[in-house]
Amino acid sequence: MTKFTRLMFKNLLRSRRRTVLTVLSIAVSLFIFAVLVSLPTFANQMLADTASSVRIISRTKMGFGYPLPEAYKLKIATIPHVVAVAPLVIYGGIYHEASDQFPSVATEAKEIDMWSDWGLTGVDEFKKIKTACLVAQGTMRRFNLHVGQHIELRGTVYPFNVTLTIVGTIAKGPVPSFLIFRRDYFEEAAGKPGMVHEFWVRVDDSRVVPEVAAAIDHQFANSPAETRSASEAAAIGSILGRYRIFMKLAEFLGLVAVVAIGLVAANTAAMSIRERRSEIAVMRAIGFPSGVILRLLVGESLIVAVSGGAIGCGVAFGLFKVFALNADALGPFVSLHVPPYVLAETLGVAALIGVLSAYVPARAAAKRSIVETLRLVD
Amino acid sequence: MGRLANKHILITGGNSGIGLAAAQAFDREGARVAVKLEHVTRTYRRDAFEVRALDDVSLTIPTQGFVAIMGPSGSGKTTLLNLVAGIDHATSGSVVVGEAEITTMNERELAAWRARHIGLVFQFYNLIPVLTAFENVELPLLLTHLSKAERKTHVESALKAVGLADRMEHYPRQLSGGQEQRVAIARAIVTDPTILVADEPTGDLDATSAEEILLLLTQLNRQFHKTIVMVTHDPRSERFVDTVYRLDKGVFIGSEQGGMSATPRVSLQPPA
Repeated sequence: MTKFTRLMFKNLLRSRRRTVLTVLSIAVSLFIFAVLVSLPTFANQMLADTASSVRIISRTKMGFGYPLPEAYKLKIATIPHVVAVAPLVIYGGIYHEASDQFPSVATEAKEIDMWSDWGLTGVDEFKKIKTACLVAQGTMRRFNLHVGQHIELRGTVYPFNVTLTIVGTIAKGPVPSFLIFRRDYFEEAAGKPGMVHEFWVRVDDSRVVPEVAAAIDHQFANSPAETRSASEAAAIGSILGRYRIFMKLAEFLGLVAVVAIGLVAANTAAMSIRERRSEIAVMRAIGFPSGVILRLLVGESLIVAVSGGAIGCGVAFGLFKVFALNADALGPFVSLHVPPYVLAETLGVAALIGVLSAYVPARAAAKRSIVETLRLVD
Repeated sequence: MGRLANKHILITGGNSGIGLAAAQAFDREGARVAVKLEHVTRTYRRDAFEVRALDDVSLTIPTQGFVAIMGPSGSGKTTLLNLVAGIDHATSGSVVVGEAEITTMNERELAAWRARHIGLVFQFYNLIPVLTAFENVELPLLLTHLSKAERKTHVESALKAVGLADRMEHYPRQLSGGQEQRVAIARAIVTDPTILVADEPTGDLDATSAEEILLLLTQLNRQFHKTIVMVTHDPRSERFVDTVYRLDKGVFIGSEQGGMSATPRVSLQPPA
């Protein structure tokens, strides 16, 4: 096929504008496809990356952000298989401007090892210094922060500010932009309300997670603050689950974009082949078999579609790389990237568009009567 | 295309450099048959009507002959040519070209056979506009196993034979009609086909260019012993051919000698 490659490229360049526009339209649609298909993938990947199989999150049955008594910690700790319990308070807060918000939570210093799998640094200092905080690397980059720096968060929910010292960083977590400080400092600033929003519970075996979660909920059943406990993945998943419908919609729209561009590509291929039907008839007359003609025409379409797909994938991949580096403020979306298998899938879709869009008109041209075609055109 | 690779065709005979692979001594008395049609009928269906383009035609064309097929419009000239070229099927009857009964071949076999044995020249040249003269002539050789260097040698020889060695890198739009037809003839002879089939090769040319093309075809026939079957309306053609076959309303009505029938052929020069 190598000696025919030049022929294919020559034919593609006979109408440069049309070829370029077709490549670009396929590139744009497959860029959209790659991005939209990456959204659900991202959510699943985030869960897979961050959710420990031995952690449970207990919240009030009322929902996210409602308080639980801190006394629950001791009761949870007595449940079999429980290894550690870390109470968590959601502070919120603004760094400089209202737009400079990121999740900030407070926990007990001695329980910080609950998240040792998140790549924490400065843990020892965190345990020693009351105003210490650990900051996610995304947040560090976004605000050009450095270890040892003092920062002040202004309260939004709570009527007080906290002044914190950055003693370490968090490499990964459920979201790339957040901050953890000490709960004893929060309690002191808040006037010791004894308030907790979540208990993070570590068990000794992943197989007992459902059993322990049920035991926790059973423990506080019929109390003024009933709990709803779930594995970390399920808890984070329940938050993401609210957006699932949008992710499904995104996937559907991605497919719509592909079908639309497939039709455009088919029309372009049909036009191109129709314009060259006399040339095709002549090539067949001088001995080109139908199969070779078919492969040449489909090959041209394949080159156009895969070029478009490669550009679309490249732009999607590059754009999200840049996006992720510069937009840590956007929470979970900042870690959005186009996974390798989505890139492969997009290129596969491009190839499919190339083959399917040209196959029918190419096959017709390769099979049409030579005499009829020459008579029609002459 | 093993024939090309195996037969060491070209490139030493004649003034132009083109030789013949199986150049046989031409014997006018015992000329072998290049094409033999027996009781060939070709009908087309046009809506509800059946059109009989050829009606029980039987004729033979000798090897190394230069034959014109003439007749009024609708007489079946082009249909006959298409059958000889293997780009159309007879409804009934037998078409033997060389030693091949082509009416029994399927599409795939016919395509391979055409690539080996037929050189086609069309009225409107039918060159590929995005390819240079060189690339257009090279096109049939892409179906062979020849190396790039071998293809280059063949193409250069063919273009030299038609007098366009200095126009190799020109695109069709940069050539005159006569030059385009010369490129088309080069494309037709580059594979050293058994028969050259030309459909109104002068039909789209001015008088001077038409004469040049007819002279070129005569040269290919006389010097390189190509069998040429040409459909034409052009009465000037009669001067250049050995035999004129006349058709009318799809019926072969007879043949007559052309102007070149008494002209002796030039023997091939020994290889340099």
